[in-house]
Amino acid sequence: MPKEKPVVSKIFYAVVFILLEIAAISMLSHNNELQRLWLTRISHGFMAKTWGTTQAVGNYFSLRKQNDELSLENERLRGIVRGYRQAAIESDPAFRPELKEDGFNYIPATIIKSGTNSQHNYLILDKGSEDGVVENSGIISSKGVIGIVDAVSKHYSFAISFLNKELNISARLDTTGAVGPLAWDGLKTNGAVLKEIPLQFKYNPGDTVYTSGYSAIFPPDIPLGIAGEAKVINGATNEISVRLFQDHSALKYVTIIENTRIKEIEEIENREEEEGSKK
Amino acid sequence: MRKTFAFTYILLVIAQMILSNYFHFTPLVMLTILPVMILCIPTKVNTFWAMVIAFATGLAVDWLAEGTLGINAMSLVPVAFVRKTLIGMIFGIEPFEQKENLTIKKYGFARMSFAILILTALFLVIYILADCAGTRPLWFIGAKTGLSLVASYIVSILVVNLLSYDDRR
Repeated sequence: MPKEKPVVSKIFYAVVFILLEIAAISMLSHNNELQRLWLTRISHGFMAKTWGTTQAVGNYFSLRKQNDELSLENERLRGIVRGYRQAAIESDPAFRPELKEDGFNYIPATIIKSGTNSQHNYLILDKGSEDGVVENSGIISSKGVIGIVDAVSKHYSFAISFLNKELNISARLDTTGAVGPLAWDGLKTNGAVLKEIPLQFKYNPGDTVYTSGYSAIFPPDIPLGIAGEAKVINGATNEISVRLFQDHSALKYVTIIENTRIKEIEEIENREEEEGSKK
Repeated sequence: MRKTFAFTYILLVIAQMILSNYFHFTPLVMLTILPVMILCIPTKVNTFWAMVIAFATGLAVDWLAEGTLGINAMSLVPVAFVRKTLIGMIFGIEPFEQKENLTIKKYGFARMSFAILILTALFLVIYILADCAGTRPLWFIGAKTGLSLVASYIVSILVVNLLSYDDRR
C-alpha cells in the first residue's frame, strides 16, 4: 500500500471525491430530463426510507403510551357497545347486532412526516396505492379530521393537513344542525373556525361540532371539537371559534377513509349538471 | 517520458470519443478504455490529481462525444478514487516505492487483467445504471454490463501497452 496516507489526506481525498461526484451528478441532472427524474426518484425514495426508519425508532419507544391509550379507548368503546346492546335487547329480545356497510373503507396508517409550522402544512403517510389508498381519501383519527390525501405513490401518500389554510371541511353544530365550512384558524394546532353560520341559528358555547356528511370525503357525525366564542361577520353570519379535540402537534396514528360510493355520487351529480345545462 | 505519457493519454481520449461515437453495434455492448487509462496514470500522481484528471477526461468525452453531460465524469471519478488502494492490494507497495508504472511485462498478465477487470466493472456498473435511469429491466442492465465488460477488457488489454512505460529503459 502507498505510504502517504495519513488520516487527513484520506479525508481530503474523500471530500474532493464527494465534491466532484456532486458536480458530475448536478450536470447530469440539469442537462438530461430522464436522468433528472431518475435521480429525483432515488432521492425521494431515500428520504422516505430515512423518515420511515426514524419514525419507526420513535414509535418503538412510545409503544407503551400508545398501548395505554388504545386500551382506554377500547374499554370506552366496549362500554358504549354494551350500553347499546343492552338497550336494544330490553326493547326487542330477538335483537342481534350486525355490522352495517357504511360505504367507506378504513385503512390504518402511520404519519412518517408532518409539519405544523407553516400556513400550508402537509403529511406523508406510510400507506400507498399498494395498500388500496386512492387520491381524495379522507384522513381521520379517533379525535377528528386530519386531512385529505392529495397524491399517492406505491408505498406512500402525500396529504394536505387540516392545518392548511386552503382546506375546508363541511361541519355541523350539534344543537341546531347549522352547517358551515370549518377551517384551521392559522394560529394554534388545535384551533379552527366554523364559518358562514346564519344568525338565526342560536348556539351555546360548549356545543359539539361534527362532520356534516355533506361532502363525499368524510362520513357524518365524526366529533371534531367544541364551539367557543362567535363574532358576527358583515352583519350576516356568525364565525365561531372551535377548539379541536385533536391536537395536530401530537399525532402519529391515523385512519385513511375511502368513500367506495364516490363514483356513484359523482355520476349522479354529473347527470344532474348535464340535465340542468340542457334546460 | 512525462510528455510522451500525456501525449498518448490525449490520443487515447480522442480514441475513446471515436469509440463512443461510431462503435455502436448493439445496445447491449459499449466500449470503454477510460478505466485502463486511469489505472495507468503514473503511480507518483496522487489520488487528488488522478480524480481531477478523471473528471476532466470524463467531461471531455461527455462534451465531445456522448451528449449526456456528466455521465462519464460521474462514473470515472470513483475509478480514480479507488485506484491507489486497488494497486496496493493487487501489486503491493513496489510500484509506489520504486515509482514504477504498471506494465504487463513487469507485473504479469494475470494481475494486470484482474486490475483492469475490477476498475472497468466499477465504471460500467455506474455508467449503465445512470444511462438506463430506471427505464430498463434488470436482465438488460446485467447483460449489458457483462458483455460490455468482456468487450472493453479486450480493447483495454490491446491499449494498455501504449500507456505502460518502463522508466528504467
